Amino acid sequence: MKKKLTLAILLAATGTAAIAGPIEEQIRFRQSAYSFAAWNVQKIKSQVVDHPETYNKDTVTAAANAIAAIANSGLGALYGEGTDQGIGWVKTRLKPEFFQKKAEVTVAANTFNEAANELAKVAATGDVNLIKTQFGKVGESCKGCHDLIRIKE
Amino acid sequence: MKVTIHIWDLPHRLFHWLLAVSVAASYITAKIGGSLIDWHGRLGIFILGLLIFRIIWGFIGSTHSRFSTFFPTFSRLAAYLKGRWQGIGHNPLGALSVIALLTTVAVQVGTGLFANDDIAFEGPLFDFVDKSFSNKLTGLHSTTFYVLLGFVVLHIVAIIFYRWVKKTNLVTPMLTGKKEIPVALAEAMAITPDKSFGPMRFILSMIISGTVVWGVSGGITQLYPVQSQQQTAQAPSSF
Repeated sequence: MKKKLTLAILLAATGTAAIAGPIEEQIRFRQSAYSFAAWNVQKIKSQVVDHPETYNKDTVTAAANAIAAIANSGLGALYGEGTDQGIGWVKTRLKPEFFQKKAEVTVAANTFNEAANELAKVAATGDVNLIKTQFGKVGESCKGCHDLIRIKE
Repeated sequence: MKVTIHIWDLPHRLFHWLLAVSVAASYITAKIGGSLIDWHGRLGIFILGLLIFRIIWGFIGSTHSRFSTFFPTFSRLAAYLKGRWQGIGHNPLGALSVIALLTTVAVQVGTGLFANDDIAFEGPLFDFVDKSFSNKLTGLHSTTFYVLLGFVVLHIVAIIFYRWVKKTNLVTPMLTGKKEIPVALAEAMAITPDKSFGPMRFILSMIISGTVVWGVSGGITQLYPVQSQQQTAQAPSSF
């Protein structure tokens, strides 16, 4: 999976971003992906961190699997040349530096992938404390990219 | 001849050091993120309580805690800059620093209440505003941090400057509450020993700030329930 993402990022870097369609479409797809991820993150946060009395193993496992699936889907392909400018659902907040920071971005993206896959694994055990800890790590890995290449409003 | 006077009352000193520690801890928890972002939120609410307390204390605390005693009016500032200011508590420039620090921290707390991190954190009053406004306040929260950092650095540099250049120790009085001043100055200012701050006033301040903290950290949403994203998320689904 890691290789796939790296490959996708490399592909995007060489300017063959056409694989994911025009700029606006790439931005829209990736915004949708993170938005869907956010819904799943909220479910886990709610049932594991904020209101553990509402914990439901099926819901949390499904949410963790969805996040992992998004992470493993090769999101790097949606970061083609020129996608730091443009409007998907809303104006993109990708920093232009993204294209100069490929190496760091790859590390940050892989950290997210690993954390998300681990969360899916841990969710299956049903151990709320373990899930909570790993969920925190996923949050940190999100922040890794946000701090690096996302414009603050 | 020097005389020791009581300058900073105990609640004032507690406020000061708790604020310093909480602001530092807020910075660290925000920087690390992850699960610690929830602690960042709790610290923010705690700081809100400290601020409300300080504002009330600025009216009913002991002499040198009161805004009226040290508020940096133009005439006080002018006198200070001409070297004609005489006093014991915050000097007019220090008072400007106090106002700047309190205001900036208030902006941080105020924006933080409505902020979100686009990951897994929403400020306690997030549900009262829409997402795009919350994003704007979050942006402001991140930028204002640098303003606060600037004021904190200035505050510390000023303390070092006073220590080494003006040979005045500002830290010890903030720890012990006591300060040594020349007898002449004490007489000029007609100092009456002021170490009592009135337990009733303290309790009143605590009740008010405690109520605000309770309201923000859940009380308001209990009284005025708003539909939050998380409630939607918990609804079980059959497909």
